[in-house]
Amino acid sequence: MATSLSYREKTLYASLAAELVVYGPYFFLHRQNSVDKVAGMIVAIIVLQIILQSLIAALTRNRVTDERDRLIELRGYRAGYLALASLMVIGLGMLWFHATVGHLRLDNRMAGLHFLSVFFGMLVIADITKTATQIAAYRKAL
Amino acid sequence: MPAIRNQIRELRARREMTQQELADRVGVTRQTVIAIEQDKYSPSLETAFKVAGVLGVPLEQCFQYDPRGKR
Repeated sequence: MATSLSYREKTLYASLAAELVVYGPYFFLHRQNSVDKVAGMIVAIIVLQIILQSLIAALTRNRVTDERDRLIELRGYRAGYLALASLMVIGLGMLWFHATVGHLRLDNRMAGLHFLSVFFGMLVIADITKTATQIAAYRKAL
Repeated sequence: MPAIRNQIRELRARREMTQQELADRVGVTRQTVIAIEQDKYSPSLETAFKVAGVLGVPLEQCFQYDPRGKR
Protein backbone atom coordinates (compact mmCIF):
# COMPACT_ATOMS: atom_id res chain seq x y z
CA MET A 1 0.00 0.00 0.00
CA ALA A 2 1.43 3.36 -1.00
CA THR A 3 1.85 5.71 1.95
CA SER A 4 2.56 9.17 0.59
CA LEU A 5 3.86 11.83 2.93
CA SER A 6 1.45 14.12 4.72
CA TYR A 7 1.90 17.89 4.70
CA ARG A 8 3.48 17.83 8.18
CA GLU A 9 5.92 15.08 7.20
CA LYS A 10 7.04 17.03 4.13
CA THR A 11 7.67 20.14 6.24
CA LEU A 12 9.69 18.04 8.71
CA TYR A 13 11.91 16.56 5.99
CA ALA A 14 12.43 20.08 4.60
CA SER A 15 13.34 21.39 8.06
CA LEU A 16 15.82 18.59 8.63
CA ALA A 17 17.40 19.14 5.22
CA ALA A 18 17.70 22.89 5.86
CA GLU A 19 19.23 22.30 9.29
CA LEU A 20 21.80 19.84 7.95
CA VAL A 21 22.69 22.02 4.96
CA VAL A 22 23.17 25.17 7.05
CA TYR A 23 24.49 23.85 10.35
CA GLY A 24 26.56 20.95 9.01
CA PRO A 25 29.22 23.01 7.20
CA TYR A 26 29.41 25.47 10.09
CA PHE A 27 30.07 22.91 12.78
CA PHE A 28 32.21 20.54 10.75
CA LEU A 29 34.19 22.90 8.52
CA HIS A 30 34.63 26.17 10.41
CA ARG A 31 38.04 26.87 11.92
CA GLN A 32 37.36 29.96 13.99
CA ASN A 33 34.43 31.10 16.13
CA SER A 34 32.87 34.39 15.13
CA VAL A 35 29.67 36.27 15.92
CA ASP A 36 29.29 37.15 12.24
CA LYS A 37 29.27 33.49 11.21
CA VAL A 38 26.66 32.59 13.83
CA ALA A 39 24.51 35.56 12.78
CA GLY A 40 24.92 34.60 9.11
CA MET A 41 23.88 31.05 9.90
CA ILE A 42 20.73 32.23 11.70
CA VAL A 43 19.77 34.42 8.74
CA ALA A 44 20.51 31.55 6.31
CA ILE A 45 18.35 29.04 8.18
CA ILE A 46 15.44 31.51 8.40
CA VAL A 47 15.60 32.36 4.68
CA LEU A 48 15.98 28.70 3.64
CA GLN A 49 13.11 27.60 5.90
CA ILE A 50 10.81 30.31 4.51
CA ILE A 51 11.62 29.30 0.92
CA LEU A 52 11.21 25.54 1.52
CA GLN A 53 8.05 25.83 3.64
CA SER A 54 6.46 28.20 1.11
CA LEU A 55 7.27 25.78 -1.73
CA ILE A 56 5.76 22.84 0.17
CA ALA A 57 2.65 24.85 1.08
CA ALA A 58 2.23 25.90 -2.56
CA LEU A 59 2.71 22.37 -3.91
CA THR A 60 0.58 20.52 -1.33
CA ARG A 61 -3.14 20.57 -1.96
CA ASN A 62 -4.26 18.94 1.28
CA ARG A 63 -2.77 20.78 4.26
CA VAL A 64 -4.90 19.14 6.95
CA THR A 65 -3.27 18.43 10.31
CA ASP A 66 -4.90 16.29 12.96
CA GLU A 67 -4.56 14.82 16.47
CA ARG A 68 -1.82 12.39 15.41
CA ASP A 69 0.25 15.27 14.03
CA ARG A 70 -0.16 17.15 17.32
CA LEU A 71 0.79 14.08 19.37
CA ILE A 72 3.90 13.52 17.27
CA GLU A 73 4.78 17.21 17.55
CA LEU A 74 4.61 16.98 21.35
CA ARG A 75 6.80 13.87 21.38
CA GLY A 76 9.36 15.69 19.28
CA TYR A 77 9.40 18.67 21.65
CA ARG A 78 9.82 16.33 24.62
CA ALA A 79 12.82 14.62 22.98
CA GLY A 80 14.29 18.01 22.03
CA TYR A 81 13.86 19.33 25.56
CA LEU A 82 15.52 16.24 27.07
CA ALA A 83 18.44 16.57 24.64
CA LEU A 84 18.83 20.28 25.43
CA ALA A 85 18.61 19.79 29.20
CA SER A 86 21.16 16.94 29.09
CA LEU A 87 23.57 18.91 26.93
CA MET A 88 23.24 21.98 29.16
CA VAL A 89 24.11 19.93 32.26
CA ILE A 90 27.10 18.37 30.48
CA GLY A 91 28.18 21.74 29.06
CA LEU A 92 27.94 23.58 32.37
CA GLY A 93 29.75 20.71 34.09
CA MET A 94 32.61 20.90 31.57
CA LEU A 95 32.74 24.68 31.94
CA TRP A 96 33.01 24.34 35.71
CA PHE A 97 35.69 21.64 35.35
CA HIS A 98 37.86 23.53 32.86
CA ALA A 99 37.54 26.79 34.79
CA THR A 100 38.43 25.01 38.04
CA VAL A 101 41.55 23.28 36.73
CA GLY A 102 42.67 26.45 34.96
CA HIS A 103 42.39 25.30 31.31
CA LEU A 104 40.04 28.14 30.57
CA ARG A 105 40.16 31.82 31.38
CA LEU A 106 36.69 33.27 31.49
CA ASP A 107 37.79 36.89 31.23
CA ASN A 108 38.89 37.00 27.59
CA ARG A 109 36.90 37.61 24.40
CA MET A 110 37.65 34.24 22.77
CA ALA A 111 36.14 32.40 25.71
CA GLY A 112 32.89 34.28 25.11
CA LEU A 113 32.88 33.34 21.43
CA HIS A 114 33.69 29.75 22.31
CA PHE A 115 30.71 29.57 24.67
CA LEU A 116 28.47 31.19 22.08
CA SER A 117 29.43 28.50 19.59
CA VAL A 118 29.08 25.63 22.08
CA PHE A 119 25.69 26.72 23.40
CA PHE A 120 24.43 27.44 19.90
CA GLY A 121 25.58 23.94 18.98
CA MET A 122 23.50 22.56 21.84
CA LEU A 123 20.42 24.36 20.55
CA VAL A 124 21.07 23.01 17.06
CA ILE A 125 21.49 19.42 18.29
CA ALA A 126 18.29 19.72 20.34
CA ASP A 127 16.41 21.07 17.31
CA ILE A 128 17.70 18.29 15.05
CA THR A 129 16.77 15.74 17.75
CA LYS A 130 13.24 17.16 17.84
CA THR A 131 12.83 17.02 14.06
CA ALA A 132 14.38 13.55 13.70
CA THR A 133 12.18 12.20 16.53
CA GLN A 134 9.08 13.52 14.81
CA ILE A 135 10.09 11.98 11.49
CA ALA A 136 10.75 8.63 13.19
CA ALA A 137 7.41 8.80 15.05
CA TYR A 138 5.53 9.01 11.73
CA ARG A 139 7.12 5.70 10.69
CA LYS A 140 6.45 3.65 13.80
CA ALA A 141 3.43 2.70 15.92
CA LEU A 142 2.35 5.24 18.54
CA MET B 1 -1.13 -8.08 19.31
CA PRO B 2 -2.22 -4.46 19.92
CA ALA B 3 -4.61 -3.62 22.77
CA ILE B 4 -7.01 -1.81 20.46
CA ARG B 5 -7.90 -3.45 17.18
CA ASN B 6 -10.33 -2.34 14.52
CA GLN B 7 -12.34 -3.45 11.50
CA ILE B 8 -12.15 -0.15 9.65
CA ARG B 9 -10.58 -1.59 6.51
CA GLU B 10 -13.32 -4.23 6.13
CA LEU B 11 -16.14 -1.82 6.95
CA ARG B 12 -14.74 0.78 4.57
CA ALA B 13 -14.33 -1.76 1.77
CA ARG B 14 -17.93 -2.92 2.26
CA ARG B 15 -19.07 0.68 1.67
CA GLU B 16 -16.63 1.14 -1.24
CA MET B 17 -15.16 4.12 0.55
CA THR B 18 -11.55 5.18 -0.04
CA GLN B 19 -9.14 6.06 2.74
CA GLN B 20 -9.15 9.67 1.56
CA GLU B 21 -12.96 9.86 1.63
CA LEU B 22 -13.06 8.50 5.17
CA ALA B 23 -10.27 10.86 6.22
CA ASP B 24 -12.04 13.89 4.75
CA ARG B 25 -15.32 13.03 6.48
CA VAL B 26 -13.68 12.37 9.83
CA GLY B 27 -11.36 15.39 9.60
CA VAL B 28 -8.01 13.60 9.74
CA THR B 29 -5.25 12.96 7.21
CA ARG B 30 -5.18 9.89 4.97
CA GLN B 31 -1.93 8.90 6.68
CA THR B 32 -3.77 8.77 10.01
CA VAL B 33 -6.45 6.50 8.54
CA ILE B 34 -3.67 4.23 7.22
CA ALA B 35 -1.98 4.21 10.66
CA ILE B 36 -5.28 3.33 12.38
CA GLU B 37 -6.05 0.54 9.89
CA GLN B 38 -2.58 -0.93 10.41
CA ASP B 39 -3.02 -0.79 14.22
CA LYS B 40 -0.13 1.65 14.45
CA TYR B 41 -2.20 4.39 16.06
CA SER B 42 -5.10 4.32 18.51
CA PRO B 43 -7.30 7.35 17.83
CA SER B 44 -8.86 9.56 20.48
CA LEU B 45 -12.35 8.67 21.67
CA GLU B 46 -13.78 11.58 19.68
CA THR B 47 -12.15 10.43 16.43
CA ALA B 48 -13.19 6.83 17.11
CA PHE B 49 -16.83 7.92 17.48
CA LYS B 50 -16.57 9.97 14.28
CA VAL B 51 -15.13 7.00 12.35
CA ALA B 52 -17.88 4.72 13.61
CA GLY B 53 -20.49 7.37 12.75
CA VAL B 54 -19.19 7.82 9.21
CA LEU B 55 -19.10 4.04 8.70
CA GLY B 56 -22.61 3.81 10.18
CA VAL B 57 -21.86 1.20 12.84
CA PRO B 58 -21.73 1.20 16.65
CA LEU B 59 -18.33 1.98 18.16
CA GLU B 60 -17.82 -1.57 19.45
CA GLN B 61 -18.29 -2.98 15.97
CA CYS B 62 -15.55 -0.72 14.71
CA PHE B 63 -13.05 -0.92 17.59
CA GLN B 64 -12.34 -3.73 20.05
CA TYR B 65 -10.26 -3.61 23.21
CA ASP B 66 -8.11 -6.58 24.22
CA PRO B 67 -6.82 -6.17 27.80
CA ARG B 68 -4.08 -8.76 27.10
CA GLY B 69 -2.81 -6.79 24.12
CA LYS B 70 0.29 -4.62 24.37
CA ARG B 71 0.53 -0.87 23.89
